[in-house]
Amino acid sequence: MIQRSWKIGGIALLAYVFWTTFTVPLGPGLLELRNLERAAVVDGLDRKVSAYELIGLGTHWSSRPDDLSVVLRKKENLTALPVVEVIDDTHAVIGLTLHDAVPSRSWDVLINHPVDGTLFLQNGLFLDGVSVDETATLPALALTEFPSDLPHHFPFQPRIFETIRNLMLHVPMWFTMFLLMGIAFVASIRQLSQTAGGSSLFDLRAEASVQVGMVFGVLGLLTGSLWARYTWGAWWVDDPQLNGALVTVLVYAGYLILRGSVEEERLKARLSAVYNLFAFVILMILLMVLPRFTESLHPGKGGNPGFNSYDLDSSLRAVFYPAVLGWMLLGTWMYRIRLQATHLNQKLHRLNDQ
Amino acid sequence: MSALSNIRFLLQHAIRVELRNRHGIAGLLVFAVAAVYTCYQATGTHAEQESWNALAWVVLLFAGFNAVSKPWADDDEGVRAFLVHTVRPQDWLIARTLYYMLLLGTVSTVTFAAFLLFLGMDHLSGWTAVHYYTGVLLTSTALASLLAMIQALASRAGGGFSLIAVLGLPLIIPVILVSTRYGSDLMRGIAFGDTAHHLLFLATLSAGFSALGYILFPYLWRD
Repeated sequence: MIQRSWKIGGIALLAYVFWTTFTVPLGPGLLELRNLERAAVVDGLDRKVSAYELIGLGTHWSSRPDDLSVVLRKKENLTALPVVEVIDDTHAVIGLTLHDAVPSRSWDVLINHPVDGTLFLQNGLFLDGVSVDETATLPALALTEFPSDLPHHFPFQPRIFETIRNLMLHVPMWFTMFLLMGIAFVASIRQLSQTAGGSSLFDLRAEASVQVGMVFGVLGLLTGSLWARYTWGAWWVDDPQLNGALVTVLVYAGYLILRGSVEEERLKARLSAVYNLFAFVILMILLMVLPRFTESLHPGKGGNPGFNSYDLDSSLRAVFYPAVLGWMLLGTWMYRIRLQATHLNQKLHRLNDQ
Repeated sequence: MSALSNIRFLLQHAIRVELRNRHGIAGLLVFAVAAVYTCYQATGTHAEQESWNALAWVVLLFAGFNAVSKPWADDDEGVRAFLVHTVRPQDWLIARTLYYMLLLGTVSTVTFAAFLLFLGMDHLSGWTAVHYYTGVLLTSTALASLLAMIQALASRAGGGFSLIAVLGLPLIIPVILVSTRYGSDLMRGIAFGDTAHHLLFLATLSAGFSALGYILFPYLWRD
């Protein structure tokens, strides 16, 4: 029963992960505050009174449009902007009236709405043709702030948007690969440390776990590449994390090729164990150590390759941790099946030889 | 015999064997110079900065791989069977690494000189060339410390050149990434002090490869 329960548990976890990954909606966010000044000039408006179009993603402004409030912020300076017109759920026209001198040219934009709560667009507004006076003050702010009233959702991240779901597919691939390569590492150490004339039992374990680990590594590269196409605009970019991942997969491919080119079983066991230890140390250096010292575009990297606590909120965690565990259980299961197949193959060969 | 004299003996022996049969080393140098000349034919004397750098490292890398893939006289089964009982495997690996450092150092020096001669020194002048050359030497040290181990592994597996390339090239990528970045930094006029950390990184990689080899080589060596 215990034999089966962890497999059933793994499948159940993955079923939950796939269901939530693709059904939980993305939370609302702000995309852009676009200047409509040219249109405003045609209408004969004063130069300093201009209109802006606020564009959101997944917002609900047309329900209770009167409660939408827009605020500009620069350090302690806060000022409210009038909402001229709410066009639909995601578009609204904002008027802008400022004094001759303002404390700064660039401003963060915050909005508050009874459904969406407070949303934030960093440096969303840049003012041209105004004079800057750091001491200038703006009228004080008085508004009621609504908490958000949203169903369970994934957090909105600028530029990442819906691709945040890839966290549940891409990252666990690498964790599972680490686990499997770790199993292979331990098996190789035991293979080398047994006394002369020992069997190649541990070698078969290492082989099976590297084979399955490679599947996860390749899937990790593919999911990462797909994600990069949508967020970075290229299938592959020159980045320390990506280079490390590619090198790791190539090194383990070398391991499998090395196995293929040695005939004698004992020699094969020893040589591939030596190369596997080499490969695992390189994997650790390339994926765990080096990214800490270099700058990287990869999420969560650039100094700290661990997952960043600011990026991972409770809605993501509720899916991410089960995803890691589920993929690891599936990987272990695949490894056990692969190992059994290798054993049976070997037995078959022996019977054929007799 | 002490470890030191063992290493010295093995190193001297390797150099003597190499010099006795000069076709080997001459072949390597001709390969390197011919590769440089091909680059010169393709780009002329006024290669762009980036292509100069890229070509230099590609030629250096493949000249190095070519040098290491030459069959090693002591890899003959009979000689190995004798050495297994007479020297510590670690001593043998150290001698082998030192020999590769000398060999790759020579080959890359000749390659670099040929590069300066044919493709011109538009992007490197005075101290910059010296700094670049330091990078070249450290890169060949890193290559030597890794490939000494990989070559032994490949020859034990009986796989020849293609196996060395398959096993060695992925592991060399981090070294080449650092070297190319260092080279292009120098060419873009970044001060030596601001890019010298790449050299430190190359030295660290060499030390890491050597330490791994030192620990693992005995397992490879014995029967």
